[in-house]
Amino acid sequence: MTRTPPSETLSRRTLLRVGAAGGAGLALSPLAACAGPTGAPGPGTLTLGLNRSLVSLDNKLNQFDAAVTVQRAVRQALTAIGPGMKPTLVLADRFEMTAPTTWSVRLREGIRYSDGRPVTVEDVTTAVRMYGEVAGSFILGLFPELPRVEATGGRTFLLHTREPVPVLDRLMANILITPAKDNRPEELRSGVGTGPYRVVSANSGAGEYTLARVPDYWGRRPPVERVRVRFVPEESSRVVALRSGELDVIDTITPDSAEQLTGLPGVHLEKTSGVRLCQLFYNFRKPKTHPLSDPRVRQALTYAIDGESLVRDVLTDSAEQAQGVVPLSLQGAERTGRFVHDPARARQLLKSLGADGLRIRIMWESGEFAADTSVMEAVAEMLKDVGVRASLLQFEPGGDILKWRQGKGGDWDVIGNGFPGPTGQAVTMLQAMYAGTAEDERTGDAFMGYVNPAIARQISDAATEADPAARDRKLAAAQHAVWDTWPCMWAFVPKTLLARRTRVEGIGLLPVNSYDLTAVRLEG
Amino acid sequence: MSKYLARRLGQSLLTVFLTISTVFVLVRLAPGDPASAYAGPTATSDDLARIREQFGLDKPLISQYGIFLRDLLTGDLGTSYSFHSSALDVVLDRMPYTITLSVAAIAVTVAVAVPLGVWMARRADTSRELGANVLTIAGQSMPDFWTGVMLLTVFAVLLPVLPASGFTSWSGLILPTVTIAVLQLALISRLVRREMTTALASPYITVARSRGVSERALTWRYALANSAVPLVTAVGTRFAALLNGVVVVEVVFGWPGVGSLVVRALETRDYPLIQATVLVTATLAILVQLLVDLAYPLLDPRVRLGKAA
Repeated sequence: MTRTPPSETLSRRTLLRVGAAGGAGLALSPLAACAGPTGAPGPGTLTLGLNRSLVSLDNKLNQFDAAVTVQRAVRQALTAIGPGMKPTLVLADRFEMTAPTTWSVRLREGIRYSDGRPVTVEDVTTAVRMYGEVAGSFILGLFPELPRVEATGGRTFLLHTREPVPVLDRLMANILITPAKDNRPEELRSGVGTGPYRVVSANSGAGEYTLARVPDYWGRRPPVERVRVRFVPEESSRVVALRSGELDVIDTITPDSAEQLTGLPGVHLEKTSGVRLCQLFYNFRKPKTHPLSDPRVRQALTYAIDGESLVRDVLTDSAEQAQGVVPLSLQGAERTGRFVHDPARARQLLKSLGADGLRIRIMWESGEFAADTSVMEAVAEMLKDVGVRASLLQFEPGGDILKWRQGKGGDWDVIGNGFPGPTGQAVTMLQAMYAGTAEDERTGDAFMGYVNPAIARQISDAATEADPAARDRKLAAAQHAVWDTWPCMWAFVPKTLLARRTRVEGIGLLPVNSYDLTAVRLEG
Repeated sequence: MSKYLARRLGQSLLTVFLTISTVFVLVRLAPGDPASAYAGPTATSDDLARIREQFGLDKPLISQYGIFLRDLLTGDLGTSYSFHSSALDVVLDRMPYTITLSVAAIAVTVAVAVPLGVWMARRADTSRELGANVLTIAGQSMPDFWTGVMLLTVFAVLLPVLPASGFTSWSGLILPTVTIAVLQLALISRLVRREMTTALASPYITVARSRGVSERALTWRYALANSAVPLVTAVGTRFAALLNGVVVVEVVFGWPGVGSLVVRALETRDYPLIQATVLVTATLAILVQLLVDLAYPLLDPRVRLGKAA
């Protein structure tokens, strides 16, 4: 009897068997996982669901609302913006203006990074330099100029500026301190900080991080042992994950989601006034003969807008009508007036100014603010009621709207625009929006073409005023002057919304949409 | 065989090159400016000019393309604008998630659709087959985001037994896998049913049956083996498509794969990231197709690679 030698090539039958076995194994592996956890966090772990991917725990190039909460849990600055938009001392225990262009700062004694190294003045000097050298920095745009650091002792130093920067103590809250040896003019992917947490695992590509409490943190020991940060881009998924208990906190939620979550057992909503201003801003590049160049026409159009109904019915009370030219929650903001709905007056004024039958083009970028399309459609209907025909032009995110904003894309009349206030200071927003000069406008950089030399001077004067009371007075005057030019048809301030499981306590949500993780605790 | 393989590899390289070149040009022709997406609303013209220079976007298109090709040869696909790190590394970080989901989805699809298709073929034109047909087509007709949200609502909220999002445990794989598999079931099971019906009516099956071969062997060993080529082709094609990212499912389930990555890359006009994603996924898809082609002679001895039928 002869034996058939085993075939050295893969037979058809073997291939099918191996394929079937492999397929079955793969198919069963997820089923086997049924016995595994449901993804709910453990009793000592807080899980945050962010709507944007946290690319790193450095903020040189990447700083958005919720990121600040997490970044500051690992890396800290000399100061922080605290309740009431007031600066609080963090790594510094003294931060005083000693002359209009000089500040005296002292580092707290005994502060160490999570690896035990002490914080030095050289770390501060290097940090300021690195923020200055990084290209495309968002933070850099907040500073009129970066200060020069002059060491005066082991823990003391002076910050010098060429021009007075009275809000330097607030602005320095954005400069996170890292050991000088490890700092680079780029987004740091690793390294240590002085914060209450250290990174134990990170997947920046997926936006997922695990933070653990630093055992010998220099400050108050945070109650939560571990923090997990997850990136869940789709809002409905974040809502479901919060409802199921898989996430403990979700931030930056829309009015629709807030409505869904209201009253659900185990879920609580946090709400506070925001610092983002959403406006229907006029185009200030219109020819002098155009009706919109006349502030009386711009004012008349504001009477057409029923802001109360927009806030109540379209924005479902997730916003407040603006009562000034910047959000009132910003420090230094002034209540300058209110938007009044009076269509009869709008019609009469427009007629008397020869602007009845006006046609305007309103444009905006999708997602610029919640319910953007519904707001714009409602506005178009309201304008129709006073005889103004509005056409709507919507841009997709990442499109060419910036060209249009700079007057390089084509003609338009009104833009739906959201403007952030990350410093918590009215002056920063006023400088960016209303202090444009003719020189800025040559490159299209004056905000929507708004150039008013008198107002620009007022703002600039206020921005360099060292005396706080005098600064507030000057800022208030500038804001009234801006309001009187009727720069926008309507404006509102979205509230900052956050949803949390009821086991999470102690979230002191700030208007800048961040909170201090060291104050958060888990019940049960 | 080696000649065939060399030719196919050459074709594959050319396909990848043409694909990536086309994408390079198309993303730059599309409206939008990476510099303004990167810089945010407060950027000035100077900021934008500086960023364009930093990204090399101030150079003519042909120069950009030349630099891209030069860097490509050294494996450098540029730095992602939004992740501030190597675009290729970002994609490769996400790829295991997409591969895991694709493999699981295709495995579940095959494990369910093949027996189902065989069952339907054995009961062709009966009311039970009609019922199975209706169910699978209903599954295919449901939009994936709807199926996903329904599964989430039932299994993550009402009966909180499975995670709602992400891949924090293996159980997180179940809902996205099932969502994708539901869509693929009808396609694969109906293909198996058609192939099996034809095979079961073939003369060689009649002969085998007359010689006393059992019905079980006739079905699984004779008829299914002869249906393997079209089945593997269909499964391979679906698998290659899944590797390109299951955008909607990834977004609904917060799955950190390349599908959700490419959405973000497109929104931010992150050219290096778009190009790296296309390069990696196109390479994988072509590789899968090549493996499918190479499997044909193993599945059907009549097939000779590189020779006309």
